Amino acid sequence: MNVDVEALIREAGTAGPGRIRAAARLMTIAEGGSGAAVNVLGKLAGAPEPRLVLGLTGSPGSGKSSLVDRLLQHCRAENPDSHIGVIAVDPSSPYSNGAFLGDRVRMMRHAGDPNIFIRSAATRGHIGGLAAGVFGMLKVMGLAGCDIVLIETVGVGQMEIEIESLADLVLIVLAPGQGDAMQFQKAGLMEAGDVFVVNKGDCAGAAEFHAQLMASVRLIDHDRKQRGPDSVRLVSAREDDGIAELLDYLDRRRDAEADRWLARRRTRLGTHLRAAVLELAQRRLEAEWSALADSDPVGRVLRGETGLAELSDALLRHAALNNV
Amino acid sequence: MASSIAFAAQHPPVRILIGKVGLDGHDRGAKYVAHVLRDAGYEVIYTGIRRAPEEIAEAAVQEDVAVVGLSFLSGAHIALFRRVIEQLRRRCAGQVVLVGGGTIPPDDVRTLKSMGVAEVFTPGTSARTIVDRIGQLLDKRQVA
Ligand SMILES: Nc1nc2c(ncn2[C@@H]2O[C@H](COP(=O)(O)OP(=O)(O)OP(=O)(O)O)[C@@H](O)[C@H]2O)c(=O)[nH]1
Ligand SMILES: [Mg+2]
Repeated sequence: MNVDVEALIREAGTAGPGRIRAAARLMTIAEGGSGAAVNVLGKLAGAPEPRLVLGLTGSPGSGKSSLVDRLLQHCRAENPDSHIGVIAVDPSSPYSNGAFLGDRVRMMRHAGDPNIFIRSAATRGHIGGLAAGVFGMLKVMGLAGCDIVLIETVGVGQMEIEIESLADLVLIVLAPGQGDAMQFQKAGLMEAGDVFVVNKGDCAGAAEFHAQLMASVRLIDHDRKQRGPDSVRLVSAREDDGIAELLDYLDRRRDAEADRWLARRRTRLGTHLRAAVLELAQRRLEAEWSALADSDPVGRVLRGETGLAELSDALLRHAALNNV
Repeated sequence: MASSIAFAAQHPPVRILIGKVGLDGHDRGAKYVAHVLRDAGYEVIYTGIRRAPEEIAEAAVQEDVAVVGLSFLSGAHIALFRRVIEQLRRRCAGQVVLVGGGTIPPDDVRTLKSMGVAEVFTPGTSARTIVDRIGQLLDKRQVA
């Protein structure tokens, strides 16, 4: 691929008609996971940062996209100059590698708003609720001038809380009728989230669920995240109820914690760059392994002609020689 | 990370936007095509019904799709497609491959093609044909 990454970065950072196009192309490269992707990450390490990176996760259908839609609406009304980015992740099909990315449907009223940049991403086999390229996409959002970035992850089950390593604050979005507070604790989400949002407040059982959650949060001793009763919210995305209050609460947290978040982002940068390089190396080795298939490496191991350690040394040597 | 191996050896999936412009609210056809394309390995960004041409163009640019597929039932397809093309060009994205679908008379199909729409699928086109044809259009684009 002969794209001029530096030209795209320049264009995405200016105000011309091709600005969004250039930023979008950079995101495609970032999510492609090639050498160019790692190159983009390196070049964007010092790019402007959003003021707030908010992660939204929670069970499928709990209303994450609808909540994003409402948050966008309120943010834009309060601050007409702000630029907001959304990264919405949906799962890839493990059978076809294709994906149906439908989060945008819930946010289409903002499609005509030039200050809102919505990007859908497929997990492409990545485990953890995110797509492998999301960190790079986030960096591009910052470059393109987004003050706030909202990241919607795929509905989580157990252990799918990778969003914690990207967002300043993680909102766990829940809805009544999707299990009780016990199950919720078992799923490990209690430790992961910073803010618990019980959505569908207009539905039966929401108030009770909210009360149960409040009680559970109060029971956590020595809470690492020091979550108070304020961190458990009851909202209705459909009725636009409690959203303004949620946003006020998030704003207060940002004012109080922004410095700490910035410092944390800097330490995370190293971790993400390391992961990107390792992933690229893994891909190179995979390709090299396929190329080796002709020489029947598995057969040679089984016949005792070569050892596993020798084989992996050979693989590393070949990958380094076939530098592309 | 282990399961990203399946994606490692091959090129990233091609992204396609599927949406519906105009006033009618039927999206059975559009959703069907979206699922057919997903099963053929494409990443399909679905925008839903009643979209304005500006919204389609903006979404197509933000999502950096290679193909935009629009479905019509309402009859205003020529004017609407013209506006989508104009809006894409305004955003420096004139090279996106455009395809259309719906009950479109043969004369209008010719007009659409002369405007730059690469293919038009009329009702009854098989899933297979749609997938094959989009694959051909993408191959052609790569060569060009
Ligand atoms: N009654 C009610 N329904 C809601 C509310 N918020 C969302 N919904 C509905 O819940 C369904 C799922 O909403 P989404 O916003 O797509 O949920 P999601 O969590 O983004 O779903 P996935 O991305 O598929 O996991 C839709 O039918 C919404 O209309 C709410 O506050 N009240
Ligand atoms: Mg969603």
